Amino acid sequence: MEKSQVEIAYLKKFAKWSLILVALSVILLFSMGAATTIGPMQIPLDRALKIILHQIPLVDNLIPVQWESIEEAVIIQLRLPRVLSAVVVGVALSVAGTAFQCLFRNPMADPYVLGVASGAGFGAALAMVLRLGFSVFGAIYAIPIMASMGAISTVFLVYGIARTGTELPVLRLLLAGIAVSSFFSALISVMMALAGEDLHVVYMWLLGGFSLSRWEYLYVAAPTVAVGFIILYAFARDFNIILLGEEQAKQLGVEVEKIKKMVLIIASVVTAVAVSISGIIGFVGLIVPHIMRILVGPDHRILLPSSALAGASILVLCDTIARTVIRPAALPTGIITTMLGCPFFIYLLKRSGKIRI
Amino acid sequence: MVLLKICGVDCCYGSTKVLENVSFSVDSGELVGLLGPNGSGKTTLLRAISRTLKPKVGAVFLNEADIFSMKSSEVAKKLAVVPQIASLDFDFTALDLVLMGRHPHMGRFEREDRADLEIAKEAMMLTNTWHLAEKPINELSGGERQLVMIARALAQKPQVLLLDEPTSHLDINNQIGIMDLLRKICLEKNLAALAVFHDFNLAARYCNSLILLHKGKIFAIGKVEEVLTEENIREVFNVEVIVRRHPITNSLYIVPVSPLQAETVAPPQNFRIHVICGGGSGALLVKLLHIHGYHVTAGVLNLLDSDYEECMLLKIPVVSEAPFSPITEENHRRNLSMIEQADVVILSNVCFGNGNLKNLEAALYAVEKGKEVVVVDETPIRQRDFTGGVAERLYEKLKSKGVIVVKNCYEIPSILKKIEN
Repeated sequence: MEKSQVEIAYLKKFAKWSLILVALSVILLFSMGAATTIGPMQIPLDRALKIILHQIPLVDNLIPVQWESIEEAVIIQLRLPRVLSAVVVGVALSVAGTAFQCLFRNPMADPYVLGVASGAGFGAALAMVLRLGFSVFGAIYAIPIMASMGAISTVFLVYGIARTGTELPVLRLLLAGIAVSSFFSALISVMMALAGEDLHVVYMWLLGGFSLSRWEYLYVAAPTVAVGFIILYAFARDFNIILLGEEQAKQLGVEVEKIKKMVLIIASVVTAVAVSISGIIGFVGLIVPHIMRILVGPDHRILLPSSALAGASILVLCDTIARTVIRPAALPTGIITTMLGCPFFIYLLKRSGKIRI
Repeated sequence: MVLLKICGVDCCYGSTKVLENVSFSVDSGELVGLLGPNGSGKTTLLRAISRTLKPKVGAVFLNEADIFSMKSSEVAKKLAVVPQIASLDFDFTALDLVLMGRHPHMGRFEREDRADLEIAKEAMMLTNTWHLAEKPINELSGGERQLVMIARALAQKPQVLLLDEPTSHLDINNQIGIMDLLRKICLEKNLAALAVFHDFNLAARYCNSLILLHKGKIFAIGKVEEVLTEENIREVFNVEVIVRRHPITNSLYIVPVSPLQAETVAPPQNFRIHVICGGGSGALLVKLLHIHGYHVTAGVLNLLDSDYEECMLLKIPVVSEAPFSPITEENHRRNLSMIEQADVVILSNVCFGNGNLKNLEAALYAVEKGKEVVVVDETPIRQRDFTGGVAERLYEKLKSKGVIVVKNCYEIPSILKKIEN
């Protein structure tokens, strides 16, 4: 049977999606390359690539060492973990933001909607003020551990407050999130009042940044975020249908309650991981899904992966700006994301006129 | 073949029982209408059948399988729901929305393929929405949106279709269009359909059978004429209606008269009202007076006249004349003697020809006898006069003699109350 224009156009959509993802991947690689070379010590891209490739077993013998050991240390110990952390956090926040906006059917939702930020902040502040010094595996230190514990326990608290019987009404979740979040914010303020000379450290941590990035954190964070993304992506079509409303979604065979709980837990864990390695980076999780929705449309099968790639690129670029703009000092990355994100978002808002989920 | 079977279903919201012991079944090819006042449990019943609300007691069988023992995607392959028109503020296109109907048939990482597109196209062709395929859903009109939702339901390839007020908020052309389509789909695809209606006439015209819900229980179930009776509607909706068979469509049609008011004071025992009417101009008036408890007589009416038939149904004494015959002197005199016994005489918005001119003279006679006369003057007399001016002159004479003139018959009960006092 002959295909009509409409059908051909629809099937071409999938090819267009692949193209979008390839383009966004190229942008991300380019940003990562730029971020690796830019810094107080200028290292050309080709040399940086050689240094990176030299780390890979079997390949290392093919590359002659033509650089100084300080350069290798800067690339491998400082810049690479920092860039990769930005990628992981960018993916985590953007994907969690997209999932929460869909689940709550609310354009205001962001990764911190359930109080993860305040919970993590409280945990981290506690570690800093009490000067907790324990470590796990000899390298993962008290602050990220306390931050992720704070984040996860906040989510379970909110979840427990919002649940009625077997159901989980989203409005109750939102309100419980606001209440718990405010409570922990107040506790953070108390901690800061008591912090004394640690005040500056706590404050900088709350603003979010990557100055403490380490390989050891990435070993835990990257696989967690990757697995979380794959699970969320598996339910992309269900997300589209959930946008129609829970009742209709149930009638179309979507297991709404099950998916809701799953998304809630996965998105929160992913956010907690991000917060534990970078502190609280604002705005990325809120605006990246909106920007991508305007650019690629509302279908989560393209929206989720393109938000992940775009979020990673944006955070890598913002972090590069943050550590170079007032050299030799560095700004917290969270300030840059908000300062650059807001005007761009306002521009899109004015241009497209309407914000939808 | 029974596709949908509901057995003794009880549903509760908290401790409030919303449905009690509801049982019925729907066959393939059948369109069943669900009627009932607000809060009678219609939507709850649809939710229980669509597996969104678990009944406290009882079971729902879809093609002989208990829906609560099936996976929700299995249910969605066999049962589709067309929800009430909701605002859909997304950038999804109509085709995207219809393809969502393929969701239960697709694997987790599967994408819509040509077969899915073919099914969506067929559903959209059937509902005449294929030309809207690439339009964003939020740019469609209410009627188009409803048709797209039906197309989505059809794309699920269901055996059972549930519809929640499929025609409310739609223009009359869309209402009829959607109902014609539904009946066609049921027959062609052998679907069993259950639809909630608010419009009795639409339900009566298109449904094979009806279910009338009242306070969470089935009050009446069966053929249209068994369910939609004046008694059932009075009991359930607390409203007086006239139920008749329409002469052209031959389906039942229902005209509401007035809601029953508990505080209405019964008129005095021997207060009599005589109605001069004919040609259908008095049926509603007579019914209205009957509801208000008046002792009513009427005349002169030809046999087979619809006013005559209404009076017979209400057991009202009538002076009658042979069909299509002019009023004889004898029957005119009997009419006058009925008028003499009445306290009030009402002249309906009747047309006058040479055959019934005597009825107008009877009204003049009533005025002369000092009776209170009320004239329903809805249509100008010139348009109702088929006697070449004779009736118009008599009518103007009547109006100059201090009768009460009203614009329509709903004003009459309050005027009568004044006269009584």
